[in-house]
Amino acid sequence: MTISQILFIVIALVVLGGGVMVVTARNLFHAALFLIVSFFGVTGLYVLLDAGFFAAAQFLVYIGAISILVIFAVMLTRGVQQAQPANSQWPAALITSVIVFVIMAIMLGPIAVTIGDRQFGNLSWPNIVEGQTVPAVPDDSLVRLGQSFVDFNQYGAAFLLTAVLILVAMVGAIWVARDRTLKDVMEERAELAAEEAQEAMLAGPAQPALPVGAAQVAEPTAEPAVRH
Amino acid sequence: MSLIDTINNLLKIIGDAVANLVQNILGPGLGADLIVMGLGALALCTVAALTFMAMTWAERKVVARIQSRVGPNQAGPFGLLQPIADGIKMFTKEDTTPTSADRWVYNAAPLIIATFALLTFAVFPIAPGVVGTNLNIGVFFVIAVGSASTVAILMAGWGSNNKYSLLGAFRTVAQLVGYEVPMLLNVIPVIVLAGSMGLADIVQRQTLADGNPGIPFIVYLPLSALAFFIAGVAETGRSPFDLLEAESEIVAGFHVEYSGMKFALFMLGEYVNTLAVSIVFATLFLGGYAGPILPPYLWLALKTALVFFVFMWLRGTLPRVRVDQLMSLNWKVLVPMSVVNIIAVIILAKVFVTSPGLQAANGGILVTPATQAAILFVANIAILLSGLAIVARRARVLRLAEERQLESRRQANRAAVSGFAGGAPAK
Repeated sequence: MTISQILFIVIALVVLGGGVMVVTARNLFHAALFLIVSFFGVTGLYVLLDAGFFAAAQFLVYIGAISILVIFAVMLTRGVQQAQPANSQWPAALITSVIVFVIMAIMLGPIAVTIGDRQFGNLSWPNIVEGQTVPAVPDDSLVRLGQSFVDFNQYGAAFLLTAVLILVAMVGAIWVARDRTLKDVMEERAELAAEEAQEAMLAGPAQPALPVGAAQVAEPTAEPAVRH
Repeated sequence: MSLIDTINNLLKIIGDAVANLVQNILGPGLGADLIVMGLGALALCTVAALTFMAMTWAERKVVARIQSRVGPNQAGPFGLLQPIADGIKMFTKEDTTPTSADRWVYNAAPLIIATFALLTFAVFPIAPGVVGTNLNIGVFFVIAVGSASTVAILMAGWGSNNKYSLLGAFRTVAQLVGYEVPMLLNVIPVIVLAGSMGLADIVQRQTLADGNPGIPFIVYLPLSALAFFIAGVAETGRSPFDLLEAESEIVAGFHVEYSGMKFALFMLGEYVNTLAVSIVFATLFLGGYAGPILPPYLWLALKTALVFFVFMWLRGTLPRVRVDQLMSLNWKVLVPMSVVNIIAVIILAKVFVTSPGLQAANGGILVTPATQAAILFVANIAILLSGLAIVARRARVLRLAEERQLESRRQANRAAVSGFAGGAPAK
């Protein structure tokens, strides 16, 4: 067994062990930390593949940003310490993950599967085929990656579309979190009430007459968060 | 080889000698390679830890002078042995763990912060050919690894099971995640000019050799350098952005429950991160080890010390900023300015090229490197000044509105008081 194979097994154990701990940990905060362990293992996989840029990007995005977001969501959850690892949906989740695993195993493995007239799988991985060596990663792979993002014959369009998507998400986030005055909220509520009243009028004849004094429009009970 | 060459290449010569020695003993092979790499890593970590000790002394001395105090002067000459005394004190202190702490999380946090702080040293080019590993994504690696401290601080804050710790951790996340954005955005112009993310290549582009002009990037990109520096101060959580451990508000923030060596590891992580930011700034904007006469590693040390001195200077001079000021500075000033700057630099670097080969390939106007530097400098300063002008105008509008409100309230008060003119009515 070569060193890189041993390393791969160790890293795979870290990734899978972290994943198992995420779903079995009773403490939600611990589950989030094990998710970080799993992400860290994936970073190691990228390093093992000589994909330094992806390793750093994985680290920055998943460990530096997304896991922080997950931890914040966990901290806003009630009962972090005694969460039940399983709920009533576990059979459905189990079936889904088994199906996804089987599909992935077929798509990426050496077994050939023919569905209709298309053939899936049957990938000859360098290390699976005996005697074949792994081709070295070219030195300018990072340059090529960058160029393929701006080349419209490759991923230029996808890159631009992703940028637009992220921009829209950013604008949306700012719009959702904007400063709202009491006046804005009251206007919105009045509009909503007017719409409901109109709907009630349109649906009027079909409805049985309400007893006198019954509330036509339910008053909103909880005050929305308003900043003056 | 002359004496001067020997001095200039001292680190490389020592490194090669050690590598040869190990290979002579063990014979060439993977084992010897691993041992040489391990020794290199050990040397880097030791240098970082020793520099941490020197930094604590220097910081206490310099801040004391700025504030008209004396600073440590009892242990050894000029208090030079103070860090050792501090270390002994840390070792002998009781290692406490709060009873309600989340033990694993609480104990792992200082280890993680120290480990990832030291990990960044793997990619810093100390002299030509002397570098842990010459990654082609150097800058990106440093910033990515630096982001792990956020997780460690959150773990410390949560694991301590203390309200002040948790508040400190919350502040940290808002600050560190936010200031990572301008940090990355201001590295991009440097990458565009250097044509590489590798730190050694970036230094090479600022060295006076191989047709490179030898102009440090701070001349090309003063705005980027300024914004990167501000983001770096915030990213290391130092004064005036030390909200994560504001003593007067939340005791000591996330490390309030830590004592003994675990606290020392937090301090180590903090100072090594500061050192890493200083080295990155020196490498990206001041030309790293490039410089005349003195040996390269000395130049890097001098430039890093200069950057760290500005860190200390800020700490000794400025009061802490408010949370809302912190956020406004980041999202309303630094980020928009940096984005405009990136666009300007990319366009100008494309239009005004310095090498005939690039001109032949992409077109553009051929200029000398000095002219290119001047053009970029003027563009940077113009963006900086116009950005500041917009901010100043906005601040003036807000201040005037506030003053008007105050004035109207004052008039109302005066009117109320004048109702009693000639003496208050007798009861």
